Amino acid sequence: MPKSLRDLHDVELAALAAAGGRREFGELVRRHGSAVRGLLRRMGAQASEADDVAQDAFIQAFEKCAEFRGDGTFVAWVKRIAARLYLKRRGREARYVEAIADEGAMAPDTHGHVDLDEALKSLGEAERLCVSLCHGAGLSHPEIASALNLPLGTVKSHVKRGLDKLRARLSPQPTSSGRAAHVV
Amino acid sequence: MSSDDFDPMVERAFSRSPHLADAEDFAKAVETRLKRRGRLRTWALTLAGLVGGWMAVTQSLGGMMPDRAPQTPAVGSAAMRDLQLAAFDAQGSLQAMLDQVGLVDAGATGMSMFWMACAALVATAALGAVKLFQEI
Repeated sequence: MPKSLRDLHDVELAALAAAGGRREFGELVRRHGSAVRGLLRRMGAQASEADDVAQDAFIQAFEKCAEFRGDGTFVAWVKRIAARLYLKRRGREARYVEAIADEGAMAPDTHGHVDLDEALKSLGEAERLCVSLCHGAGLSHPEIASALNLPLGTVKSHVKRGLDKLRARLSPQPTSSGRAAHVV
Repeated sequence: MSSDDFDPMVERAFSRSPHLADAEDFAKAVETRLKRRGRLRTWALTLAGLVGGWMAVTQSLGGMMPDRAPQTPAVGSAAMRDLQLAAFDAQGSLQAMLDQVGLVDAGATGMSMFWMACAALVATAALGAVKLFQEI
């Protein structure tokens, strides 16, 4: 009895898509579309822009599907494509200067917890991009430096500062009852 | 909490994808775009193949006809005459080159080879344009 698309592993679906299978690729989009769109939003894209770039990324992934060898996960591969497309689209020629941080300090909600998307908003633009590219898209520091046209040391410090801020935001906050709320 | 055990926590947070209510719509939009691109590519390749094939066949058949001496057309614009003269010049050069390397035979004159090369170039250019369009 043939397997349904839902039963197939990503690598099997990608192999079928590489042979021209649009339905199989559609299943991959269903599985991972939200993750790619979410990453782009976390990088700072508006919802509609994130969707446009995510669509372009999936189209490009379909065209290059034969290049996906299953070394990493399919979603990580598409996320990298999407991140690069987003950076290209924004035409980030200018070097990132020390940015902007400390805008809009964010308070935890009434239950004392803050989610990642909210926490990212407290980072400066460069920190947010560097942290998202590093931890969301899986790019290495040298790859980020190359993509953003920044010195490697600057990227490392943006990532470190960004993580420090995220840590401060995401750490369990004591509630009025004295119990720590956990990160969602 | 040390920074060493914090990073995996951040990665876990990043790995949790948000639930987006329009996920199905998004997938359908991507599938629609893929279908449209596939159809466009098929049309472009078919057209390129037909044009290239038509040119190759007509010029091959033309090459089997008795050679005609180059004639300057009695009527037509100066630009057309220049084009024909340039084509005959190219034919002469190609013929000489083919003679030199011994690649010419009775069925394929320099002119037919010239036009077949043109057809191949047109087909290649069409393929390149399709590829470029896909990348854009």
